Amino acid sequence: MVDAKQTDTVDRLVGLTTADQTFQVRHQRDKVVAATQGSENGLFDPTLDGLTVTERLYVALFACVLTPAPELTKEYAERLIRLGADTEIIDFVLAGALENIQSPRLHTILKFTHTLITDPVKADRHALLALPQAGLSTPEVVTLAQLIAFVSYQVRLVAGLKAMKALEKSA
Amino acid sequence: MSAPIDIKGFTNDTLGWKAWLDVVSLDAATPEQMAVLEESHPKAKVSDYYLFLVHQPEILKQRSVAFNAIMYAPGGMPRAERELGATVVSRINGCVYCASVHAQRFEQLAKRQDAIIEVFNEPQGAGTTPRERAIVDFSIELTANPGEVNAQSIQKLKDAGLTEPEILDLIHSVAIFAWANRLMLNLGEPVFPSKESS
Repeated sequence: MVDAKQTDTVDRLVGLTTADQTFQVRHQRDKVVAATQGSENGLFDPTLDGLTVTERLYVALFACVLTPAPELTKEYAERLIRLGADTEIIDFVLAGALENIQSPRLHTILKFTHTLITDPVKADRHALLALPQAGLSTPEVVTLAQLIAFVSYQVRLVAGLKAMKALEKSA
Repeated sequence: MSAPIDIKGFTNDTLGWKAWLDVVSLDAATPEQMAVLEESHPKAKVSDYYLFLVHQPEILKQRSVAFNAIMYAPGGMPRAERELGATVVSRINGCVYCASVHAQRFEQLAKRQDAIIEVFNEPQGAGTTPRERAIVDFSIELTANPGEVNAQSIQKLKDAGLTEPEILDLIHSVAIFAWANRLMLNLGEPVFPSKESS
């Protein structure tokens, strides 16, 4: 059984427990396990100035919708609901309906997320400079870029480990 | 030491990189920012990339620990193969800067550049051995279609001789370059050495 209180997000979402071979293999690289969770904790730290936690979760949710990454989409949607975020905006993000998002700031942030997730080579100088023009400070831009890039890593790590576990279970 | 490669806009030349927004100046850096720079990379204090990312020191610190553990830790997949995976991902994502750095590392570790020439020309089907081709194929799949990676994708790596710890290292190498490429591509641009001086 997977423990709902398990603090490692990737283990929890892949459904890895100590009994699984894939868990044993993953935890031989314990520094990577710790820094992966450490990155997530840092990126969603409520004491980090700038982008609100809700804004950060909308970004993560949208990145997962676009990938697509079903387990992580569900995870970030649930975190938004637990925080009391606007369910209408959550639905717009889930549907990719950016045109319905009223806040110009959130709209710009999610548009940037779309470019960087789906076609990173198009995320050029013009795309980046739209962020300070929408009022984001440089440290906020760094948080946003790191967050989108981290989620790109996290979805691939979960996808790879899920596949390893699936093969283990079919053996 | 290695022959210059210039294929489809990708190179093994040594490139610079400049940020599009303001970087942290060392004079104004906090002690925490200085410590994170020192831990991140030997040249971080003269690199626009690190001086930009250190606007958020804790996030950079965790990223650097993950990156260094994935690319440099002993054991598991040979480092040249991790660099091959990194180069394939950078080629697919169009990150000329990352591709140049990791092509060089592959060449230094493997003492050859044939696989890099193939990857720069056409990543699909590249690789000089069945094992290399399996690594390249998986790197492309996990980069382009992570939702479609499945048990069969892993079985193909096993069939090519990769052990489970090696497969984990490959997943990590591919995933960390989904991260690295997106920073290098969207926060600044490569600086090419002038043709006269090369």
